[in-house]
Amino acid sequence: MGGAVYNAAIPNLIPSSVNRDFRPARVLRVTAKFSCVLLGLSLTAGATDWSGPEQQLARKIVAVTGPGAVAVTIENRSSLGKRDSEVIENGLRSALAGLGVRFARPETTASPAGSAVKISLSENATSYVWVAEIRQGAAELVVAMVSAARPDGATAAARESVPLSLRKTLLWSQDEPMLDVAVLEENTGPTRIAVLDPEKVSLYRLQAGAWRLEQTLSIVHARPWPRDLRGRVVLAKDHLLDVYLPGILCRSAAGTPLTLTCRESDDPWPLVPAGLSGSGYSAFPASSSVGSTSTTIPPVGAFYAAGRNFFTGALTPGIGSFTSVRKFYSAAFLPHDKSALWLFATTDGRVHLVDGVSDQAARLDWGSDVTSVRTACGAGWQVLATTSAEGSDDSVRAYEFPDRDPVAVSAAIDLAGAVTALWTEAKGDTAIAVVRNREMGSYEAFRLAVACSQ
Amino acid sequence: MKLFGWQWLAVSSMMAGALAAAAEKRPQYGGTLHVATRVALASLDPADITQPDSFARRSVAMLMFDTLVTMDENGRVQPVLATSWSPLNQGGNQRWQFHIRRGVRFHDGTPLSAEIAAASLRAANPAWNVSVDGESVVIERGGFESEFLAELALPRNAIVKRNADGATSGTGPFHVADWQAGKKLTLAADENCWRGRPFLDTVEIEMGKSFREQMTALEVGRADLVEVAPEQAHSISRAGRRVASSAPVELLALVFDRDAASPEEKLLREALAWSVERRSIRSVLLQGAGEPAASILPNGMSGYGFVFPADADLPRARQAREQVHATPTWTLGYDANDPLDRLLAERIALNAKDAGLTLQPTPSASADVRLVRIPLASPDPWVALADVAAPAGAPAGKTGASIEELYAAELAVLATQRVIPLFHLPVSYAASAALRDWALRPDGSWTLADAWLESGKP
Repeated sequence: MGGAVYNAAIPNLIPSSVNRDFRPARVLRVTAKFSCVLLGLSLTAGATDWSGPEQQLARKIVAVTGPGAVAVTIENRSSLGKRDSEVIENGLRSALAGLGVRFARPETTASPAGSAVKISLSENATSYVWVAEIRQGAAELVVAMVSAARPDGATAAARESVPLSLRKTLLWSQDEPMLDVAVLEENTGPTRIAVLDPEKVSLYRLQAGAWRLEQTLSIVHARPWPRDLRGRVVLAKDHLLDVYLPGILCRSAAGTPLTLTCRESDDPWPLVPAGLSGSGYSAFPASSSVGSTSTTIPPVGAFYAAGRNFFTGALTPGIGSFTSVRKFYSAAFLPHDKSALWLFATTDGRVHLVDGVSDQAARLDWGSDVTSVRTACGAGWQVLATTSAEGSDDSVRAYEFPDRDPVAVSAAIDLAGAVTALWTEAKGDTAIAVVRNREMGSYEAFRLAVACSQ
Repeated sequence: MKLFGWQWLAVSSMMAGALAAAAEKRPQYGGTLHVATRVALASLDPADITQPDSFARRSVAMLMFDTLVTMDENGRVQPVLATSWSPLNQGGNQRWQFHIRRGVRFHDGTPLSAEIAAASLRAANPAWNVSVDGESVVIERGGFESEFLAELALPRNAIVKRNADGATSGTGPFHVADWQAGKKLTLAADENCWRGRPFLDTVEIEMGKSFREQMTALEVGRADLVEVAPEQAHSISRAGRRVASSAPVELLALVFDRDAASPEEKLLREALAWSVERRSIRSVLLQGAGEPAASILPNGMSGYGFVFPADADLPRARQAREQVHATPTWTLGYDANDPLDRLLAERIALNAKDAGLTLQPTPSASADVRLVRIPLASPDPWVALADVAAPAGAPAGKTGASIEELYAAELAVLATQRVIPLFHLPVSYAASAALRDWALRPDGSWTLADAWLESGKP
């Protein structure tokens, strides 16, 4: 959703809940120990060929001054970086020299007959504008100019260099809005993924080190989507995947060719990944590598408000005596003994803790998106929650709930924009975060994993 | 390295977003947003030529209506009610075909059709030859691609369904719930908006409110979004208010009511242009807001604005003045409802006096030369230039695609001496703490399509 800003801070965050495991020194030790490799996007602008506009402007200047001695000054008044402006300056001087211009000192052209050219590297909304102000003695100022297209994708780099206990791996990036990404197959890393956008599911396969589009499955819907559109890809047991969207449920065919059939539906969205609810799914066997607990979470589903961006609060089959809670944006759960503590990020800005017997509201420093992961460290389960400070990018942090107060168990991992989706992956040990990059405007899907060895 | 207009606009827009970023949450549905404007609109029809252009008018129009295309913050054309477009004859690019989006309905339930879109464009542009070809609209018109598409993106070219009784209906995120011309407009969310129902339930717009009244309304919680005078933006921001400003998108200029009658009068106008101390006026009266200007187009829009010297040159002004034996007394008109305009007019008259010219400030509507604020019509420089040139009686100039042709066209407009540019001003707004995700468009208007109130009850 364009322009939406999520996940800034709520006052009163856990002032007393940062436990001793999270003292700075400890963090540094853990940090040094693990040195998690964080994926950085390093989009450096490639070398741009400016020779065209350089030659063009040089010809226009020489058409006025003619060959000979000219005092040339060049000033960068644009957003061009120092390196680029130096490249252009050299290029312009070379082009002028090639047309017979000899560079004179400004004072030598102070005589009435001398030529002086001031070149400004400027810009407007769509292009760079290079302007030459040419003075020849007492003659009237002559202005020559050319425009140069901006190179595509010449944008700044985003880097992460501080290793934390949360690890993010870029799965996919695209300019168009992206609602969710699901990993369909993987070896050491994902080899086949499904990317959900408002109008289609795109299947990509990793071949020879590059992602190639395998198939596109259109999403048919009669009604317009609500703003702040949300959607989820859920891997299925007897077919490839289901897609949940507001008021729409799409199901892929069981056989080949792969098709997607969509219908209007108010079926509940699953809140518990199949790998944790015991319902199973086809893509991955139950993982034994994570989590020491064998707790199986009941497959709780929640009804989504078709024309809005939140769940209605109605649950099925319910949590203990609760078959409904307040309207909420997202939910997470933490198994405790034979039950589970559920957390709902409700539309009133609070987090409701529901254990099947009581519903307790808390005002935490969390955003709208929470989810939970089962890991092989700490208490075995962590809640991932979005947070952000005013005016900054969102971040995600891991928490545990020894009692009813959240305890931060990781440093916040910064994301270069606003988190628009945060869902637990099918296996339950990782989560997918979709981020709208604040600078680029593009959408990026990250896999978030807790690095937990001590 | 300097930060120029468009980048600055982006920064401002981000600032607006950042200001709204206390919102830690997903957008909430519900609530009534209260807006105040100085302009008192007499009509809601965006094509009504009896209404002057203003940022408020543009903003209000785009709450109710959509255009075929729009321009994004990078100056690129994006589809809205037209899904695609193409020139029909490659030679002169005179005929354009626009394919109309399917599945869109007006607020009264009527499906959007090529016929209605064509009728709307004809009403707004009688000079255009607009026809229907199946589910597309064909427009025959001169001009180059970028300029033409930018013009189509203007709010005045929004697609409006006009009924026989004069009522209008649009496809925008809000429909009219109550309209008291010139006083108050109440808009309600369109539940079936093709781009999704807006988050806000209602938008109430109080019109005809002075800057002072608007700020008071904001301070006592009766308004969520108000206009701020450019010269007050800095102090209001320092007082802790959330203020967002656009790039300079408004031209403050002296506009003569007729062409110069003689070479002598041209010299006097030249003297007047050289006499105005723009930089000191900016420091004192404008409190640092805006940019001194001797060009019609801001540098961020053209890329060459700095070529036009904006510094006062009193010796040169006197030299021009002394070439004329008899100097007339010019009346200098200003907006009586704007205290700043009066101060500006008086200061300009003082500067002119130093050059040997006589200007008589007057709030009268008829004057030899008027101090006017011109909202630049579009981020597209060709469209903006033509829009300034036309009411000033200056030729629009030859349109073209190259930057040098644009420069030549602007020189031609300035050469008429009907317009003496003084400043390029930003537009500024202050918002309540509860308002989230409102945004400034590149043309200086605001958009509330994705706005929401933190206090809204879903």
